[in-house]
Amino acid sequence: HQQRVLRLYKKSLRHLESWCIHRDKYRYFACLLRDRFDKNKDVKDMVKATELLKAGEEEFWANQHPQPYIFPDSPGGTAYERYECYKIPEWCLDFWHPSEKAMYPDYFAKREQWKKLQRESWDKELKQLEEETPPDGPKTEALPPARKEGHLPPLWWHYVTRPREIPM
Amino acid sequence: MDLTLLMNTSMLLMLTLIITPTILPILSSTSKASPDTTTQAIKAAFLTSLVPLTLFLYSSSDNITYCWQWKFITNFNIPFSLKFDQYSMMFFPIALFVTWSIMQFASWYMATDPYITKFFSYLSLFLIAMLILTTANNMFLLFIGWEGVGIMSFLLIGWWQGRMEANTAALQAVLYNRIGDIGLILSMAWLASTTNSWELQQAISVTQTPTLPLLGLILAAAGKSAQFGLHPWLPNAMEGPTPVSALLHSSTMVVAGIFLLIRTHPMFTNNQTALTTCLCLGALSTLFAATCALTQNDIKKIIAFSTSSQLGLMMVTIGLNLPQLAFLHISTHAFFKAMLFICSGSIIHNLNGEQDIRKMGGLQKMLPTTTSCLTIGNLALMGTPFLAGFYSKDLIIENLNMSYVNTWALLLTLTATSFTATYSLRMTSLVQTGFTRILTIMPINENNSNITNPITRLALGSIMAGLLITSYTTPMKTLPMTMPLYVKTSAIILTILGIMLAIELSNMTHSITQPKQNLLLNFSSSLGYFNPLTHRLMPMSLLNTGQKLSSHLIDLSWYKKMGPEGLTDLQLMMTKKSTTLHTGLIKTYLGSFALSILITLLMHTD
Repeated sequence: HQQRVLRLYKKSLRHLESWCIHRDKYRYFACLLRDRFDKNKDVKDMVKATELLKAGEEEFWANQHPQPYIFPDSPGGTAYERYECYKIPEWCLDFWHPSEKAMYPDYFAKREQWKKLQRESWDKELKQLEEETPPDGPKTEALPPARKEGHLPPLWWHYVTRPREIPM
Repeated sequence: MDLTLLMNTSMLLMLTLIITPTILPILSSTSKASPDTTTQAIKAAFLTSLVPLTLFLYSSSDNITYCWQWKFITNFNIPFSLKFDQYSMMFFPIALFVTWSIMQFASWYMATDPYITKFFSYLSLFLIAMLILTTANNMFLLFIGWEGVGIMSFLLIGWWQGRMEANTAALQAVLYNRIGDIGLILSMAWLASTTNSWELQQAISVTQTPTLPLLGLILAAAGKSAQFGLHPWLPNAMEGPTPVSALLHSSTMVVAGIFLLIRTHPMFTNNQTALTTCLCLGALSTLFAATCALTQNDIKKIIAFSTSSQLGLMMVTIGLNLPQLAFLHISTHAFFKAMLFICSGSIIHNLNGEQDIRKMGGLQKMLPTTTSCLTIGNLALMGTPFLAGFYSKDLIIENLNMSYVNTWALLLTLTATSFTATYSLRMTSLVQTGFTRILTIMPINENNSNITNPITRLALGSIMAGLLITSYTTPMKTLPMTMPLYVKTSAIILTILGIMLAIELSNMTHSITQPKQNLLLNFSSSLGYFNPLTHRLMPMSLLNTGQKLSSHLIDLSWYKKMGPEGLTDLQLMMTKKSTTLHTGLIKTYLGSFALSILITLLMHTD
């Protein structure tokens, strides 16, 4: 419940910012909104709290901005996924010519050990994932952390070798 | 000195200068073109193109260069001939000037892009296609140029192909252009069947053209120039990088449609239906685009809608039977629109990708050159007296007021003029003035000469171009000379009204009232609900029909309707109708039989 209230607060602040362009006006209305949220802070009765939340969500829906301000790099923004076409997967590094690989000796020296580590831990990661997904299929995209001592979290290789946010 | 020889030589030199950096890296494996070489080549081409322009202006002779003839079938030849008349000769230096400035800007803007050479070659390929379009003397070459600019637009809008919205936007641009192409092909087919040639000279000799090919041409122009009905691709085309938006979607590609109408103008002169269609379509698109621009918060979208609005204005001019004025507006519009896009690109890049004007403010102190040129561009757009926009826009509005046209179209255009002032002022005030609202403290500077030089050059162009072009072109039609004072100053009065409206609205944003959604805001913000309606409703209904047809048709029709059920239906209908008549009273029937037989016998025995 707390998460939902906080999410409503953040959403409404962002939309308020889209409406009130100038900072002083925004600050005024943001303070008013904060006060409205704070007045009902200590309601312990879950039924009443859920009703308040529902009323708040409806008021948000009625007052939302048609073109809310979205940060350029977040989903829906103007620069989101802009550099996706320049991100190359890491297995291309295996195709480099030895003279090119000689330009980065320390990385490529360690790379074979990292790949050996990945091969070893792959079966264990897979087993952990199989045990932990519910029978209908995974509910979220979040991956579980490593449970046992000495194991690595599942699918760590894709995370560690992901390309940079803004390539080159 | 043979002037014709000089003119032809310089044209050839210029074309070589443009084509070489593009084609040479493909043909030879050793030479590589860098962005700087391409920029220098275009600059040289611009300076070279001034020579034929000057020669043309002093000799005022049209020139048709005849290159090669493709004997298609026995009596249908397609000569590849290029026409150098006032329109194409004037267009060349303008397009090259704008392209030179944009390429210089792009060498800064796209500096971090790994495929920058490919970008520049795309831009020059686009330029070549556009120049083919403008110099084409027959519809075939025009069609080649038309498709060429469409394809390059697709490639350039979807430059960052990892981004989903960019791919959608590129596809949308191509599809909308395709719908326009249907109209173009229709009129080309009519032309080929009627006049047996695709030359423009033959086309304009037909004085009483039927309305259908003309409507086809108007459809083609509507598709390419984003008139109302085929407009959604233009705001979405802002997904491409800013140099692309500056070159394609402000100065050159979107005027291709209007250019087609200018070229085929004598076909339109006598057909009042086609002229009225142009007029109303143009007026509607002007107003619609201006309304949508009022509530946009993204700089590039505001400028895109303003382009759409000015294109509607150009269509209105064509509807008023004034092709030369439309061309004048194209030329002046190219300067200040490209400048507006470059200024916005410089602002966006400096703010690290921030395109929303709600997060910009107080940039006047930080980027003085850029913001002052932004102001000059907006003033030119609004038609401030004696800047570039004034010479074309004011003349258009005067002619609109003084001719016997639709009052409704007149009202729409006048309202759109004041809206133009409103959204331009809104944009400038939110971007430049006031306290700064930018997100992070970025190193904002304009120290690079690659930014300031193009902007100042285009600013100079926006100020001088109107004067220069009008003083060197002889008008073909007499413009109205006398009119009441209020008509003469109507454009300025409307602009001032728009400015006052903008000031009033910005005062309202400062006051402490909670803003809310209202109907007008919703209409304007969601672009008039046009996008969801057409993009969802129509395809859904078509797909549903298609699915019903494919899955149910065979079963339903052949196995049921043709055979048993069809017969049943027919029989059932007849039997139901006749059942009510069939009451079953046998005694009454026998009685009536007996009665009628008795009467007949009595009559016969008598």
